[in-house]
Amino acid sequence: MRQQEIHQYIQRFFHENNCGVLDSSYDHLTVQLTIDMDKRIMNRPYYWSYVESGGVEPNPAKLTLITNPSQFSTSMAGERIHFGSPRLHQLFQVTKEQGAFVQMYEKPGLGQATQVTLTPWLGVNYKITYSSDRTKEMLYSLGMNLMNGAVIDGFQESVRKLELGPSVAANTYYLPYNIPPLRALDRLEDVMGNVVNQDDHTWVEEAKQRQVRDLRVLDYFYTGVEDVPESYAIEKKAIEEQYETTIRIEIINGGLFYLKTSLL
Amino acid sequence: MRVERSSEWKEGFIERLENRKEFDNWTLYQMCYDMERAKVIPEFHGLQSPKHLPNLTPYAHQLEAAETVIERMNGKAILADEVGLGKTIEAGLVLKEYLIRGLVKKALILAPASLTNQWIAELNQKFHIPAIAYNKKYNLDHCPIVVTSIDMAKRSPHKEMIVQQEYDLVIIDEAHKLKNPKTKNYEFVQQLKKKFCLLLTATPIQNDVFELFNLISLLKPGHLGNLETFQSVFSASKHHVEEDEFLKELIQQVMVRNIRHETGIEWTNRLVQIIPLEFTEQERAVYSMISKLPVSDSFTLLTLQREMCSSQLSAVLTLEKLHQTSVQPEVRFQIEEILLKLTELGIHTKAKKALELIQNADDKVIIFTEYRATQAYLQAVLHAKGITSVLFNGKFSKNKREWMKQLFQGNAQVLIATESGSEGINLQFCHHVINYDLPWNPMKLEQRIGRVHRLGQTEDVHIYNLAIQQTVEDKMVELLERKIGVFEKVVGELDHILTDGKRSIS
Repeated sequence: MRQQEIHQYIQRFFHENNCGVLDSSYDHLTVQLTIDMDKRIMNRPYYWSYVESGGVEPNPAKLTLITNPSQFSTSMAGERIHFGSPRLHQLFQVTKEQGAFVQMYEKPGLGQATQVTLTPWLGVNYKITYSSDRTKEMLYSLGMNLMNGAVIDGFQESVRKLELGPSVAANTYYLPYNIPPLRALDRLEDVMGNVVNQDDHTWVEEAKQRQVRDLRVLDYFYTGVEDVPESYAIEKKAIEEQYETTIRIEIINGGLFYLKTSLL
Repeated sequence: MRVERSSEWKEGFIERLENRKEFDNWTLYQMCYDMERAKVIPEFHGLQSPKHLPNLTPYAHQLEAAETVIERMNGKAILADEVGLGKTIEAGLVLKEYLIRGLVKKALILAPASLTNQWIAELNQKFHIPAIAYNKKYNLDHCPIVVTSIDMAKRSPHKEMIVQQEYDLVIIDEAHKLKNPKTKNYEFVQQLKKKFCLLLTATPIQNDVFELFNLISLLKPGHLGNLETFQSVFSASKHHVEEDEFLKELIQQVMVRNIRHETGIEWTNRLVQIIPLEFTEQERAVYSMISKLPVSDSFTLLTLQREMCSSQLSAVLTLEKLHQTSVQPEVRFQIEEILLKLTELGIHTKAKKALELIQNADDKVIIFTEYRATQAYLQAVLHAKGITSVLFNGKFSKNKREWMKQLFQGNAQVLIATESGSEGINLQFCHHVINYDLPWNPMKLEQRIGRVHRLGQTEDVHIYNLAIQQTVEDKMVELLERKIGVFEKVVGELDHILTDGKRSIS
């Protein structure tokens, strides 16, 4: 993310969370947090338990975020935000919690006279992580047509272009699904399992070889040492953990989509 | 192959399907996906940070070094590029990468006092990392990225405040200062709580392989057994160090070293030569008298010999001190005689040669000397010939260093620096270096030359190493060559510092 994108992200984030912008420029953004947002990100549970028990007027914080790097080393007051700063990670985390499940309906579009029929889809965004001493991540955005069971990849990119709303529009109606969403979810999980199974896993073998090499060097420096010190065990464990290989499949977010546009 | 999955999302989804909880907001849903896409690490190899740093174009060797540190070394490494290849950039890339991956939240950077401002500026401007200078008034709990000097950090009350913190990454610039485990510097760094650690030094071995042991032990305590076993393994086989694959393998595990001519960057030439000189008859006589002084302390004698090879003035100061502390009238008499002879000498042979080199160069020249007295002497000699010069030494404050550099760049033809001045100033606008006195340690030569022969140098660089024949300086040249040999066997190739091999020594 470039700095402007970060600035935009933050602006949208607070806007969606009803935190008013008090002041903003090319360099910075000052927002008035809501009580809820203050509790989520300001990490001051004592203050809030005090407010709630004592009946004191709650005073949620104002936050100034500086997004232009050329202001980082000036005396401008506020938190310096860059891709990698803990505050941005935290906002990402909150976004993740707040954007995990949706149910969306495609809008009929202007001038649509006749009745519109919407087809139900389950859309799920996955992340696969391979990790050893190195990491590789892959995103998959799967969608399953809940009428006929067809599965497509790149679902998110497709629905992004559509006009969607959180409730069904007038003059449209949707088909009840043939395939229950939870069963569809299980099938998408299988699809992901197959993706992993069919992938090339030479990386596992390579990580093992690197581990063997490291352990060999470690052992070399302890050959002939009678009382092996504790540090040996610690270092050995660290090497084993460093090269341990794991595969993780996780869901970023997902939901039900009722679409008039055919995606196949 | 075991695959980890979590049913957490499914449970939340069921709650929504059963209308027990509300669905989320579409904008935040899309932002969430976009954010994950921005964070994704698509290949086992490669860094994410450059994508987020549109204003920085690192060199290939810098990217590769940062990658190796993260992928191969698990963030515990010695960055040992030759001087001037941009170790700071490499360290910045590593720090940025870890910040992006969320693996580092708190970092501490320890640099020489003269370089802390440069670090802060580079991290802020090039990497968009809001690093700040340490200040004891700040609460360190709220300072994620702090830069300070090791000399400050190791003293109370700073030491206690810093040691209390848990750092995810500690970066130590000019880490060769940590080669001795018995120093306060070393002890302090040992006490720091750190997950990842980068040691930056162009010269990981200055004298012997045990210095490397000490550096690696900071990164990976216990990895090399203890010093005794390490010593028994390596002292016994000191002569076939080169055969020992394990040491090489170990070094590959913890050290990244880029060499100038392997970087693919067009480098200007480094023309190095030893210029052998002959004392005049009178100088030779004084040198012999000094060598015959009945001084019990061989170190003092050696110092005097080296000083005589440098300038009359530096020898005079030591001789006067010796005169004051000597009780034997015989010794005092001899010293008086030498002092008298010294005053009768003309311009020192080396100074004459330096003068000639400066006049021939007709350009900016840096002279490195080991002695403050010589520094003053040379300035006087140059002044007499109408050559302007500025002095530079390690005791100067940051402002004064900067001012001297400006003066040198602008008005003066010559900069005369002592050893302690050779760190952290970048003088690419200059193309001639005279090593007026040779140091014991070859890496000091490398550091000195690195002031001018670095990225940004546009012309060939001329290095002149002055040595007076049939004096202690012969032995120094020999010793330097031997140490360079050890370094090359253990660490790898070293660029020319003493001679470029094309010119013969005598």
